[in-house]
Amino acid sequence: MKMQKKSVSEWVKSGDPWVWLNAGAVAISVIMVVGLLLLIAVRGLGHFWPADVVQATYSLPGDKAYTIAAERVESVEVTSAQLREAGVQLPDDSEEFLQRTLLKMGNRDVYGADFGWVLDKYLSDIETPEMLFAAERHEWGNLYGYLMSVKEDGRIVSETSDVTATASALATWAMFEKSIERAATIHDDIKDIEKYDIGKINHALERIRLKQRRFELDGELTPAVEADLAAERSQYDEAYRGLQANLAALYQQINRDSFVVRVMDGTEHEIQVSKIVHAFRPNAMGVTEKMGFYFVKVWEFLTDEPREANTEGGVFPAIFGTVMMVLLMTIIVTPFGVVAAVYLREYASQGWVTRVIRIAVNNLAGVPSIVYGVFGLGFFIYFLGSGIDEAFFPEALPSPTFGTGGLMWASITLALLTVPVVIVATEEGLSRIPRNVREGSLALGATKFETLWRVVLPMASPAIMTGVILAVARAAGEVAPLMLVGVVKLAPSLPLDGNYPFIHLDQKFMHLGFHIYDVGFQSPNVEAARPLVYATALLLVMVIALLNLSAVTIRNHLREKYKSLEM
Amino acid sequence: MSDVKTHSIDISAMQREQQALNIENEKVCLSVKDLHLYYGEKEALKGVNMIIPEKKVTAFIGPSGCGKSTLLRCFNRMNDLVDSCRITGEINLHDSNIYTKGTDVAELRRRVGMVFQKPNPFPKSIYENVAYGLRIQGINKKRVLDETVEWALRSAALWDEVKDRLHESALGMSGGQQQRLVIARTVAVKPEVLLLDEPASALDPISTLKIEELIHELKKDFTIAIVTHNMQQAARVSDYTAFMYMGDLIEFGDTNTLFTNPGKQQTEDYITGRYG
Repeated sequence: MKMQKKSVSEWVKSGDPWVWLNAGAVAISVIMVVGLLLLIAVRGLGHFWPADVVQATYSLPGDKAYTIAAERVESVEVTSAQLREAGVQLPDDSEEFLQRTLLKMGNRDVYGADFGWVLDKYLSDIETPEMLFAAERHEWGNLYGYLMSVKEDGRIVSETSDVTATASALATWAMFEKSIERAATIHDDIKDIEKYDIGKINHALERIRLKQRRFELDGELTPAVEADLAAERSQYDEAYRGLQANLAALYQQINRDSFVVRVMDGTEHEIQVSKIVHAFRPNAMGVTEKMGFYFVKVWEFLTDEPREANTEGGVFPAIFGTVMMVLLMTIIVTPFGVVAAVYLREYASQGWVTRVIRIAVNNLAGVPSIVYGVFGLGFFIYFLGSGIDEAFFPEALPSPTFGTGGLMWASITLALLTVPVVIVATEEGLSRIPRNVREGSLALGATKFETLWRVVLPMASPAIMTGVILAVARAAGEVAPLMLVGVVKLAPSLPLDGNYPFIHLDQKFMHLGFHIYDVGFQSPNVEAARPLVYATALLLVMVIALLNLSAVTIRNHLREKYKSLEM
Repeated sequence: MSDVKTHSIDISAMQREQQALNIENEKVCLSVKDLHLYYGEKEALKGVNMIIPEKKVTAFIGPSGCGKSTLLRCFNRMNDLVDSCRITGEINLHDSNIYTKGTDVAELRRRVGMVFQKPNPFPKSIYENVAYGLRIQGINKKRVLDETVEWALRSAALWDEVKDRLHESALGMSGGQQQRLVIARTVAVKPEVLLLDEPASALDPISTLKIEELIHELKKDFTIAIVTHNMQQAARVSDYTAFMYMGDLIEFGDTNTLFTNPGKQQTEDYITGRYG
């Protein structure tokens, strides 16, 4: 007994428990981080995989049996008591636990809801028919059914009466695919015209309107000027009419084809081919085909604009907005933080005033971010922004230009939020530059400023970059203040485009962080949105990692270049 | 701890200068008049009077904390960087007091260059290190820079070692090379005076020897003041030697006399290793 006691105390003395404690803490942290990433990766990335579409008969006791076609989403076990409470009429002898599956049944326009729970026990005749197809639509979510015929101008060009893979069914399918491809091309043309050409004209017309208003405000709106503007306007109107005619023709073309689909309740519906984004028969696809399809879907997610209240399509505008906002923030915060740090460390006399300022700066880093949002809204937008509007954009009033949330104010607000980090890191860096290097420069006849500019700041640049990295990491993940100063759930155009002045700092923008919140919690279609929340979260993490990684690369490069003597 | 070996001074080195040196006959480059220096309340220099002769090597010796480095740093106003430092008295560089109000300190430091104890090359290429002082002066013509850099590196006996890697980082050089680079960098702006603050104390014996040879070469063109802990070094390289103790200049005279026949008891005690 005594022997053992001694060995325990010796074990403690040896430091082993301490090592175990530390290693354990590290292991738990690593497991948590990896687990988090795995969870969002699996949930998010799985969403794009084209799952098999099963067809089955569902006959709940006391209900009429009906056929369903759907993708399995997830399964859970529930108690029969729970189900009874929810109003499901179960026979008295049913087991205590039942398997319940969430199915994506699509056809929202037909059934009303596109997701539904079923009890596995009452599914029968489960099969995966080869000709059962899934179609993604521009509106109304997915469609599941059997293709019956394809029409051109209301005239049937190919039809089949089979729901199995017969020659006629396959021929109709081939026709359908060709028709979709044609519609997609036309759809792209229409989007191009609407977005770029007409967008450009609208932009120009708006500028003319503002110009006219400006003349009016200045009291210089003479008939001659008015005539000039009218001429200019009519020129654009002319172009617009031309495009309009083009569009009308394209619309006519795109609406040429339609197809008839038989859905599971046996009814047939005629739908225009132009409404379809993709159509595919997942049950007939091999693994390679599915992989190809998967990457197409991922690519679409990264590069497309969102559809259907953000629950379908891609998140490109949100990626773009996030990256652009962070870059602008970096451009603002770096010089500001560096200049402040240089003053505090190099020029200010190190008395109590400097000390108080330093404490204040450190405390600024601890202010909750929403407070910055409120400050940004109150000071930048309402005060500065409306001041700018009155001084420079009176012609646009009463609609605000800078007097409302926008990219610039969001970047500045976040720059304010992150500036303490840059100041602290830069000061740290400046204080580590060896005194003898500064003296070496001064002894050669350089002034203090020249020494700072040519020797000290370059040598401190890795430390500055460390500050920038921390700032980027914080700013990219921040959502709360942005909701007050310029982020929206759907921005009609990117803040960077081909219309003068190319960068639209006054424009509202989309942001991945806010997108997650919006899709997850403000979406009308919760089940459809859930996987997108994970996918977007994963993307946000990757974007931040990428931004950080590039900053770290730059810092390592600088470190290598300016690695100092014996530090 | 007195050790007989510490005063075994290299007589032959001293005898290199054949002609008798006399401080009265020298042209004055820098003259120090009643110089007091205070760090806060502490008086670090207690009324120093001396001259630094032109185109000669003047060495400052003395125990640590005696004020020799402080005095050296007064010559190019490096002490201005210390907040609590206060100075009375004057130092004249060719008859103009460098401590008058209107002095352009940057210009002064261009004329009075300084090399420090630890080599402090900038984290730039060898070429850019040497060109630094010129660029500061606004000289950016490539031809002028090239010529001056080569001349300066040759003056510092470094050209042959680095001519093939001028654009590599100076931080990859050995300590001795770095110190010669710093000397080249200082020489490149063509100052009148070179202040060397224990330039060889961080170097190995071979590098030290090279620096000493270099000092010997450089004194043809520059007035040199050197602070050293190493009395043999002072004896080897200098024409005149000043012995300082506790902020006072105890004795100043030609090196030969000072080491062989010191006028003050304190000097003799120090050079024979009785303290310090």
